[in-house]
Amino acid sequence: MTLLAIVLFPFLWMLQMSFRPNDDIMGYSVRFVPTMQNYLSLWTGNFPKSFANSVAVSSSSTVLSLLIGVPAAYALSRGRFRRRRAIAMWILATRMAPPIAFTIPFFLAYRYLHLIDTVAGLVIIYLTFNLALVIWMMQGFFNSVPRQLEEAAWIDGCTVWGTFRRIALPLAAPGLAATAVLCFILSWNDFFFALILTRTSAMTAPVAIVNFMQYEGWEWGKIAAAGTLVMLPVLVFTFLVRTYLVRGLTAGGLKE
Amino acid sequence: MAPIGKPAGWEAKRSQALALGLAPALVVLTVITLGPAVYLVVTSLTPLNLVNPQSALDFSHPLGNYRDALTDTRFLNSVWVQIELSVATVVLQIAAGLATALLLNAHSRFLEAIRTAFLIPMVLPPIVVAIIWKVIYTPDVSPVHRALAALGLPLASLIANADSAIWAIVVADSWEWFPFTMLMTLAALQMIPSEPIEAATIDGASRLQLFRYIVLPYIRPTLVVCALFRLIDSIKAFPLIYVLTNGGPGTATEVTNYYGFQQAFNFSYWGYGSAIATMMVAGVFMLSSIIGRLDQRLGDNA
Amino acid sequence: MRKPVDQSKTPCIADDQHKPHDSSLSLTRRRLLAGGAAAAVGGATAASGFPYISRARAADKPLSGTTLNVSCWSAPYPKYLADYIPEFEHATGAKVNYETPSFPIYNQRIDIELSTRGTAYDVLNITFIYAGRWIGAGWFEPLDGFINDPKKTPAEWDAGDFLGGTTATMKDSKGQLYGIPWIADVIMAGAARADLIHKAGKKMPDTFDEVTDVMKAVHNKDNVPGFIIDNHYGWTWIPWLQGFGGNVFRDPPGDLMPTLDTPEAIAAADFFANLLTSYGPNGVISYTYDQVVAALKQGRANYSPNNQTFLVQMGASDSKVASTCDFSLFPAGPKGRFPAVSTHAWGIPIGSKNKDAAWEFIKWAMSKELIARMVREKGYTSITRRSLIEQPDFRQKLMINGRDVARIYLDTVELGAKGYMKYRTVPVYPQVDKEIDIAIQNIASKQKSASDAMKQAQANSLTQLRRSGIKL
Repeated sequence: MTLLAIVLFPFLWMLQMSFRPNDDIMGYSVRFVPTMQNYLSLWTGNFPKSFANSVAVSSSSTVLSLLIGVPAAYALSRGRFRRRRAIAMWILATRMAPPIAFTIPFFLAYRYLHLIDTVAGLVIIYLTFNLALVIWMMQGFFNSVPRQLEEAAWIDGCTVWGTFRRIALPLAAPGLAATAVLCFILSWNDFFFALILTRTSAMTAPVAIVNFMQYEGWEWGKIAAAGTLVMLPVLVFTFLVRTYLVRGLTAGGLKE
Repeated sequence: MAPIGKPAGWEAKRSQALALGLAPALVVLTVITLGPAVYLVVTSLTPLNLVNPQSALDFSHPLGNYRDALTDTRFLNSVWVQIELSVATVVLQIAAGLATALLLNAHSRFLEAIRTAFLIPMVLPPIVVAIIWKVIYTPDVSPVHRALAALGLPLASLIANADSAIWAIVVADSWEWFPFTMLMTLAALQMIPSEPIEAATIDGASRLQLFRYIVLPYIRPTLVVCALFRLIDSIKAFPLIYVLTNGGPGTATEVTNYYGFQQAFNFSYWGYGSAIATMMVAGVFMLSSIIGRLDQRLGDNA
Repeated sequence: MRKPVDQSKTPCIADDQHKPHDSSLSLTRRRLLAGGAAAAVGGATAASGFPYISRARAADKPLSGTTLNVSCWSAPYPKYLADYIPEFEHATGAKVNYETPSFPIYNQRIDIELSTRGTAYDVLNITFIYAGRWIGAGWFEPLDGFINDPKKTPAEWDAGDFLGGTTATMKDSKGQLYGIPWIADVIMAGAARADLIHKAGKKMPDTFDEVTDVMKAVHNKDNVPGFIIDNHYGWTWIPWLQGFGGNVFRDPPGDLMPTLDTPEAIAAADFFANLLTSYGPNGVISYTYDQVVAALKQGRANYSPNNQTFLVQMGASDSKVASTCDFSLFPAGPKGRFPAVSTHAWGIPIGSKNKDAAWEFIKWAMSKELIARMVREKGYTSITRRSLIEQPDFRQKLMINGRDVARIYLDTVELGAKGYMKYRTVPVYPQVDKEIDIAIQNIASKQKSASDAMKQAQANSLTQLRRSGIKL
């Protein structure tokens, strides 16, 4: 539909810019000889390393958040805790705080702990949004898993975490996948934390693009190419889990 | 939930086991959220400035930063700009999201495929979105500007003009986030029971009436939740401002988050930056609890 | 590795100069060349930097295994340097991670890094408006130890060769040196389409009034806006402020009372903002320095009172205005002529873990040979080594369209030594710099009158000074 075309136009324009040869970067004509020059020129310098950093940080953060968050979500879903509401509010609260509220204390603390410019440092601070996301979303998914099967297993003498592993988890697997992807995407896309907390060794791809932000004609192609590369994993993942994405986002968004 | 025949104390054991699963998460959350929160507030009571590290322990004027902020014209201006930006983008996003959702609300594979494509702006890394819009807003390279110029309608640079700069940001931000509203509204639309609609249509209601009296009440809660989420997230707007305007022209697009960032990370005014951050968090909390209460009251009266 | 030799002295080796990356010379040949050239030239210019390394530590690559992280903002010199870095890496075995982000991004990231005394970088640029802050806080390593140690720095490297005015700003109050200056940038005036000025019967303006006059005459002729300048107003506006008789602080470095709301300051702000709005291109207040250079080179704007290092690029081979550009001394205001001078220097952050290797890099990057090559091969002319400036072919190189730019440059450096640049050695100048940026933007975008904007800048600057703990 035309609406789609209009909406996606900005995105598509950048995409085509990344393939344009340097001198024609601002050209009008739709017919131009596409070139991989911009992408190739990215491969020197720091960009590949920052890309690898992004992969490392996003994957580690996803895995860590899932490890800590999924059992917690299950416990909240199945248990009767008095403070359940308080915990839910707490989680919502962490989502509300603006990034500088976190970065200032983390930055000052990381100075002493020598965690500045480390992958580990980023992974830890990413927990602030990923953990909350995992708990919030997985709780919703576990809630929609019927309890009868688990109850049957408990009666038969299975342990709580045994049933978790054998029954609840497999049933919630699609939700788990969606949550994992969302974690990855959020970590990948982060700009502010990485901008402040990384320098050279742990710089991630979004921050590396900023180093190209200069005006001269040829750099636009490089910027466009870098931007395209940075968004590619995200787009691929989104496409793979698109059905679950809708369910996941809305399950997490609407109140329980 | 204690069926006959279960051993006593079984519930307690189960609760214990579950609590064990919850514990690590709680510990981690405490360390990474409460700890920094406390540290933030404590730092906001000092004039900490890294050029002078001893100032970390200077509690002689604990409310100094706060008093400073209340008389700081740039800070007050940033709050006003923030309000403008937040209100504008939330309204625009809800409108655009709602419109798109209505258009896509039908069960066809084609439309479902398109729905995925509409997600793109939302999942793009925000810095990439900022770059895309930087290209669009820079007159020399922008296809839009040049097309307009070719048509004889030359447009002045939007981000260099104080009045339009904030709208430029609003448009870019709404473009980025309207899919969120669209998704949620779509889900809500698809949960509306069909009988009322059928009944009303048989009675001869127009589409507008259908929308106003049946659809809207059903999706109102969703819209409110959307608005709330988007309002809170709009306070975090950063990459767009960083790349497009740097808070300018003048301070026309300097929102509170950005001003705090400059004070803390450009000039090392950690104490003052902490005070700004604390006030922002407090502000957001108050705002969301007010909205939550308003919504409840409206819901009660509905 | 190619043996860098001063071309004018040994023309027979000249051909070697034009194979930039031929590093296949064997060790003995290298040694022979080093010895021979040294003898021929008398050691004056040839034997420092590289050859020193190769002579002293023969076959092994002295820095192999070391990784150096170097960063500088994207000025012409650092960008040219990037092309020579592979030679350094090959000769020393070091790996160099080199980045050149834009000016505001560089300053923000490096300021926050330095404040942590971090280890992420080994060689950094000391930006002129931050020099007072960074050196004063003790965030850079004093270099006297490196310079005075003959084992680390041979005498031929000639540390005294740098223009006095440039090293002065990189010293602390005790006279310790912290940075090796790679540029002495001066503000002068340039016109991309001087032909339009001549066609209107005018010449390059020499006073503020003449500027307005010329602008009125050439604005939009041939579709070229008359005026352009980048939006770092805390740097580009100050010469106008002082030309009107105003100043940033009352009497730096002792009396730091800002004087941004004096009648002179308001008049200067009004005048300057008017130049921007009446004669500047569409959206000029969002133009950064690299945008301005691009615009000038493509002839999309005419007159610019700008950094020499940017203006001379109009004469480059890829510039569309190479044959129509012209230059002049910065114009004089009613109260005198005060073109700004700035210095940027290479320094070693105090947290670096590779300080000796870092010093090797700085020595190489600022060696006479490398700078001479840069002048020759890249046409780079904003240099700080007196011995190179005084060479006749350098003056020749800076003759663009018959204008002796080197003369303008030297005259301006002399003017700058008179002391009116003290405002930028003040450690809190970056904050005031930002307030000035905001004020001029406000005036040029018609959000505030000159008087209101400057009064606000004054008030905000006072706040910032107080926040830094300065008692006025």
